[in-house]
Amino acid sequence: MDEWKPNPAVKPHKKRSWYLAWKYKLMNQRALRKLCQTGAVLFLLVTVIVNIKLILDTRRAAYEEEEESAQDYDDEMLNVEVPRHPVSNKKVLDVEVYSSRSKVYVAVDGTTVLEDEAREQGRGIHVIVLNQATGHVMAKRVFDTYSPHEDEAMVLFLNMVARGRILIFTIKDEGSFHLKDTAKNVLKSLGSQVAPFLSWRDMWTFAGKKGGEVYGEKHAKSPALSTWGDPVLLKTEVHLTSVEDAECHWPDTELNRRRKRFCSKVEGYGSVCSCKDPTPIEFNPDPLKDNKVFDVPVAVIAGNRPNYLYRMLRSLLSAQGVNPQMITVFIDGYYEEPMDVVELFGLSGIQHTPISIKNARVSQHYKASLTATFNLFPDAKFAVVLEEDLDISVDFFSFLSQSIHLLEEDESLYCISAWNDQGYEHTAEDPSLLYRVETMPGLGWVLRKSLYKDELEPKWPTPEKLWDWDMWMRMPEQRRGRECIIPDISRSYHFGIVGLNMNGYFHEAYFKKHKFNTVPNVQLKNVESLRKDAYETEIHRLLGEAEVLDHSKNPCEDSFVPDTEGKVYVMFIRMEQEADFTTWTQLAKCLHIWDLDVRGNHKGLWRLFRKKNHFLVVGVPASPYSSKKPSSVTPIYIEPPAKEEGAAAVPAVAAAEQT
Amino acid sequence: MQKINKNAVLALLSLTSLVFLLFQLYYYKFYLSQKNGSFFSKVRGSQSGQDSTRWHVVRKFLGLISSHNIPVYLIDPLILGLVNKDIEQIRSSPDGPSPECKYFCAPRDFTTFALVDKTWKQDVSLFRAAEKMGFQWLKIINKDPRLDGMDDLSGIEIPLHYIFKLASHAIHLVVFYERSGNYLWHGPLRLKQHMDRKFVPFRKLHFGRYPGAYEKPELLLVSIDDLKVQIPKNPSSFLEEMSHSRFLECRYREARAFFQLYPDDASLDAVEFRKKAKSLLHLAASTLNSLGVKFWLSSGTCLGWYRQCSVIPYSKDVDLGIFIRDYKADIIPAFQKAGLPLKHKFGKVEDSLELSFQGDGDVKLDIFFFYEEDDHIWNGGTQAKSGKKFKYLFPKFTLCWTEFIGLKVHVPCETLQYIEANYGADWKVPLKTWDWKSSPSNVQYNGVWPVNEWDDVIQIY
Repeated sequence: MDEWKPNPAVKPHKKRSWYLAWKYKLMNQRALRKLCQTGAVLFLLVTVIVNIKLILDTRRAAYEEEEESAQDYDDEMLNVEVPRHPVSNKKVLDVEVYSSRSKVYVAVDGTTVLEDEAREQGRGIHVIVLNQATGHVMAKRVFDTYSPHEDEAMVLFLNMVARGRILIFTIKDEGSFHLKDTAKNVLKSLGSQVAPFLSWRDMWTFAGKKGGEVYGEKHAKSPALSTWGDPVLLKTEVHLTSVEDAECHWPDTELNRRRKRFCSKVEGYGSVCSCKDPTPIEFNPDPLKDNKVFDVPVAVIAGNRPNYLYRMLRSLLSAQGVNPQMITVFIDGYYEEPMDVVELFGLSGIQHTPISIKNARVSQHYKASLTATFNLFPDAKFAVVLEEDLDISVDFFSFLSQSIHLLEEDESLYCISAWNDQGYEHTAEDPSLLYRVETMPGLGWVLRKSLYKDELEPKWPTPEKLWDWDMWMRMPEQRRGRECIIPDISRSYHFGIVGLNMNGYFHEAYFKKHKFNTVPNVQLKNVESLRKDAYETEIHRLLGEAEVLDHSKNPCEDSFVPDTEGKVYVMFIRMEQEADFTTWTQLAKCLHIWDLDVRGNHKGLWRLFRKKNHFLVVGVPASPYSSKKPSSVTPIYIEPPAKEEGAAAVPAVAAAEQT
Repeated sequence: MQKINKNAVLALLSLTSLVFLLFQLYYYKFYLSQKNGSFFSKVRGSQSGQDSTRWHVVRKFLGLISSHNIPVYLIDPLILGLVNKDIEQIRSSPDGPSPECKYFCAPRDFTTFALVDKTWKQDVSLFRAAEKMGFQWLKIINKDPRLDGMDDLSGIEIPLHYIFKLASHAIHLVVFYERSGNYLWHGPLRLKQHMDRKFVPFRKLHFGRYPGAYEKPELLLVSIDDLKVQIPKNPSSFLEEMSHSRFLECRYREARAFFQLYPDDASLDAVEFRKKAKSLLHLAASTLNSLGVKFWLSSGTCLGWYRQCSVIPYSKDVDLGIFIRDYKADIIPAFQKAGLPLKHKFGKVEDSLELSFQGDGDVKLDIFFFYEEDDHIWNGGTQAKSGKKFKYLFPKFTLCWTEFIGLKVHVPCETLQYIEANYGADWKVPLKTWDWKSSPSNVQYNGVWPVNEWDDVIQIY
């Protein structure tokens, strides 16, 4: 830098600035000028080099800092970015629909969305609903319209589908035998020309927009009764609409955002997706005063029956005293639609990889769900266990809140259950009455954590054992003489007619007429008398007060019980030893209550209602209450009908149906 | 004239580069100082070392969360450290106005708060409100460890950390979860690939390098620097806890693989033994915890945890380790009071101490005392009939928390070395026959007790 100092020898003279003078001098001193120039160039070079070095240093330091700042915190599992499917901006979908005797399929843009060529399955009309904006499959159903009533279900379903959706129909095998005019008219109103004339073993495919255009229809008539129509293949194009047109314009709230997500994915849930007047998805039932079960976790055990789950969760979330934060839905399998339902209601759901098959699969799912529940809520002493095919009574939590302290204090209790196996329309009467029973009804029940953790979990049936979890829980090794508390009128209602061990006939016979409490805030009476010893006193009091019925009459006849109200009657049946239920089973059969195995007994005593009178049945001499029998009375014996081949196997299977 | 211009240009260029050079030097110096930590004071150059930005951000944040009814509490170790010095005064006058900003004005990048998950209904409206107030926020989620141990449950991902950033200050909100064993757990902070690595200087966070386990703290509402905030009632014990809160999750995946190779014993005997061992461990833990004696899972019990996340059904006892410096004479009476009579006592406090208590139905509780040397740690064994002494050597280790059969317990953090020292490289293979005098790979013969000491160092009941 020194070079840049003005030459001290040079002094500015006259009025000229020092600079000009100096320059003038320099110009006259060639050598010096050259030196200065070289110096300047050198200096410039040095500056450039230093600059570059500095820049490099700073950048490296900054880079290191950045690296360090996060490297400890990197997710060790390298999250492989899920390749995003390019959003197809395609406006037209190619749709192929095939109908034949043994195979149906539907392909949308080359992707098979339905394929059914299984033998002896999937008979009837297959319906697919597509989103008119995205082309996604929103619902897939099959209605076996060869069988009765299935056409009604189809009409119901079609009515629930929102206007504008794309509907695709195809028949497999036979779809017309029980297809009534109502259903045919609905199909006609969708634009089908052929539907009104569909007949025996015709093949038929149809694609159209609900309330709009028809994309195509093909039909092949069956030439003779014994043969099927030729396979038909419909190829057509569907024009997609814009997303805005396909969505409703609900106010932008958190709830409606959930609703929107749900409604753009699935169909068949009716008014929840109605644009004009959608049914609420938040219920805000009255809170319970002094709710003792507010902090009890609720595990909902679900499979792939999303419509059931939807109905179940609605009733659960409408029950007074419900705490949605404590609810977890456990889904057995990676099914999307049940998860969509769970998310619609803003609840948390967990999916479970299916282990094993059939009953063992259910059993493993139960185990995983219960363990997870107690892991997620480590403070909980109890868990409420529900299934997806139950309606929950409005006072379900009130019922539990009033009785749960018994489960905590009375070691002789196994569970509290909301279900009375014998509580039918004609045998249950008093919503405030509770019983102690030696059986475990399930269907909405409370499990004590210590029972699960100390006893059940360690020896839960392993996956290779094809046991029903509930049958296993009822085994004496597990139950160990403990009892469950149940209400006279059930606080849950089993509506499922499709299930592992369930069918329509069975449901109609054993579940349809079950009584279900709809009265809110029932004050339970005499809860304290449900304790072990107090209950005996109570029973003795009841038996003491009870009027002995006329044992010469037929107990199956209605006239067996007088036409009174509010009285207590007792009858005695023959029961040679503890496990002799011959007469009871026959009596249960003729009373049209649960007779597939023995339920609802307490030391050889059954309690139910007949004609609004409390009706007690005592098994003599096995029951300790036999002493109450007047010596003049002979216990009634009903002979079982002669055994038919294989009849014995039925109850064993059917007993499992309960859950 | 041209020559003059050339000169002038040169001169000008040189001058510019000089200025530029000086600027660069200045900048570089500034950069270095910033790297050494005093970023904020330099940047803002505030004279008193105070930073009102931080105070304002914290105040805004507290306003936000109280309007959403979210009960957070302060766990910032630096502030709690300061608070702890004045704790008496703060406790006695919880509402007093503060003359100066003492706690929330020290310039820092972060202030850390905690939130217990179950006290909060995860509510999206909070984030919308936060955005409206100008906060940027980041949510860090990961798998729910409470479901990790379960076969084939697709665990939902749960939020573990939130960071709310406003201006130059960030609030780090750590989400604590209650877990089986009556403790609180917080997760590690791991950034997923798409996340903004420079959102905040993550390295400076006080929580998140490892997961941690804590007792449920009692809280105290105080007013410091005119801000009402909940703090742990006893900040010093919280800070103490924090210093060794690191938590290790059981290796569930490896345990599942182990059971695939060696299916679990599901016999009634095994179920029964596990039940007894579990209740014995629970009893031992509550006894030792009430004495304030730190212990860890040792030997077979530790192996069971590490290898299969459960009690080894044929192990027939429960093994615990305790550092000899934590030994208390009350241990024996306390166990006897808890219903566990002393079975034998080998060695003495100065050398090779080992206690054994009789649990329910044949299950034994063995407590080994560990002696620390400069480069290793060892415990002793004694053969009763011969008076022979043995020594088991371990590399040095520290203690971590884990969860084991419904308990929060310690295990050596360096578990693998610990287990390999004890069981050799083949620890993965189950061995039903085990001789404690010869099988361990770290056993050394350690002489014989002098006969005159036998009455003292070999006591069998």
